[in-house]
Amino acid sequence: MAYLKELLASRELLANLTMREVSGKYRRTVLGQLWSLINPIVLMLVYTVVFSFIFRARPAEGDPSGLNLYPLWLMCGLLPWLYFTRVVNGGLTSIVSNANLIKKVYFPRMHLPLSVALSTGVTWAMELGVLALALTIFGGMPLPFLPLLILWMVLLALFASGLAMMLAILNVHFRDTQHFVALILQMWMYLTPIIYPISLVREGAEQYGMWIIDVYRLNPMERFVEVFRNILYDNRLPAWDDALWCVGWAGVIFGLGYMIFQRNEKRLAELL
Amino acid sequence: MSDSAVIVDRVSKKFRMYKERNQSLKAAIMRGKKSIAEDFWAVQDVSFEVPRGATFGLIGRNGSGKSTLLKCLARILHPDRGSITMNGKAASLLEVGSGFHPELSGRENVFLNGSILGLSKKEVASRFDEIVEFSGVGKFIDQPVKNYSSGMYVRLGFSVAIHVQPDILVVDEVLAVGDGAFKKKSQNKFVEFTKSGRTVILVTHSLAQVREMCNQVAWLDQGRLAAVGDADEVTQKYQAHLDAAGS
Repeated sequence: MAYLKELLASRELLANLTMREVSGKYRRTVLGQLWSLINPIVLMLVYTVVFSFIFRARPAEGDPSGLNLYPLWLMCGLLPWLYFTRVVNGGLTSIVSNANLIKKVYFPRMHLPLSVALSTGVTWAMELGVLALALTIFGGMPLPFLPLLILWMVLLALFASGLAMMLAILNVHFRDTQHFVALILQMWMYLTPIIYPISLVREGAEQYGMWIIDVYRLNPMERFVEVFRNILYDNRLPAWDDALWCVGWAGVIFGLGYMIFQRNEKRLAELL
Repeated sequence: MSDSAVIVDRVSKKFRMYKERNQSLKAAIMRGKKSIAEDFWAVQDVSFEVPRGATFGLIGRNGSGKSTLLKCLARILHPDRGSITMNGKAASLLEVGSGFHPELSGRENVFLNGSILGLSKKEVASRFDEIVEFSGVGKFIDQPVKNYSSGMYVRLGFSVAIHVQPDILVVDEVLAVGDGAFKKKSQNKFVEFTKSGRTVILVTHSLAQVREMCNQVAWLDQGRLAAVGDADEVTQKYQAHLDAAGS
């Protein structure tokens, strides 16, 4: 509790660290913040060519939005995923890469991974803004779902930063963690229905045994991607079980990450 | 409230010296959970009190544990035994300009650094002119700090830290920044600082500086407290010890 109080008391530091990340990142680049949009757009083009034209992935039509465009469908799942990986990768290295600061000044260390989640969140919000605009132009109605979208962004931010905090501590002990996690995240992406629709997995499961789909859906990111697609692409409320899974995962993982980080925080300066 | 600003009560700090450390996952798995370590007590059973408004010096030879103790006082390290009580808001200055972002301007960095040191935005804003004035950075304040000369860099860092105005300031040899004129200016600032009832704890190697600035001194030798008390007495003892060791 005392720690939480301290965190809240120094929330301006969190704001300033976030500002440092946001405005420091694209200094001295001609395109500035536009760079944060270019990356997902290029990914969108590549995945669309490979998976829509070559492999002919055909996601179901948005219900009730009526949208039927692979690139937009893709982005509704890809943007949350990109946010998730950036926070996990950035948050997990935030302690090691700020070793200098940690060894010289005291402040609640949790602000470092949290500021990664926030500053990445700024980029993500811009990306989603552009996506929402595109969805509207092509006939979707994402705007009324804005409060729900924000709520789910917060939930995913909690889930991602909880995981990042646990891994950040582990990374201080074993620097292997960051390389290992980069690898895991790559595989994780293909285990999540981002570039292909889950209907393909369901077809496979019907053939080889329904347990496959049950195991497949234990992946927390599957639920998150599903909900984000419901909100943005289909323009409907998410299913109850998906919503509850997301809330549960976010709560449990953030709680665990918070506890683990707080317990180990005091020894960070000497371990680095 | 007692008139002690800081109470250090039987503080000990140990470090693990790893003979074979499991820094990688592979090593940890191959060798099992155990890594072979030996404890090294950098600070052992040190107790003293720092009166309010004092300038308190920590002296000792290299490896005597004074920096470790200072880091414990700055809350960067946590003592394994004993406790440190601070009566009042504390700030530490172990390195000037830590947390400066090279691509950001001096102005942005003042706000960033101020909040790292525990100031609110309002407090920094109200002291901003003073901070810039004291640092002598002048018209370069809106330039990215990576273009600063190293002198400007440390002067700005020092200026932010001294304007935090905590009740207790913990300092590590940072007085050795800037040119002669700036040194003089910062020493005056310290005197002004303690006159207003605030407490300074500093580590330094320069005995001349200790005699000039401190009124109380603790001498650490191999992690243990060798002497504590009046600055002149303790520095004399310490000087004698150094002379004996040197000859």
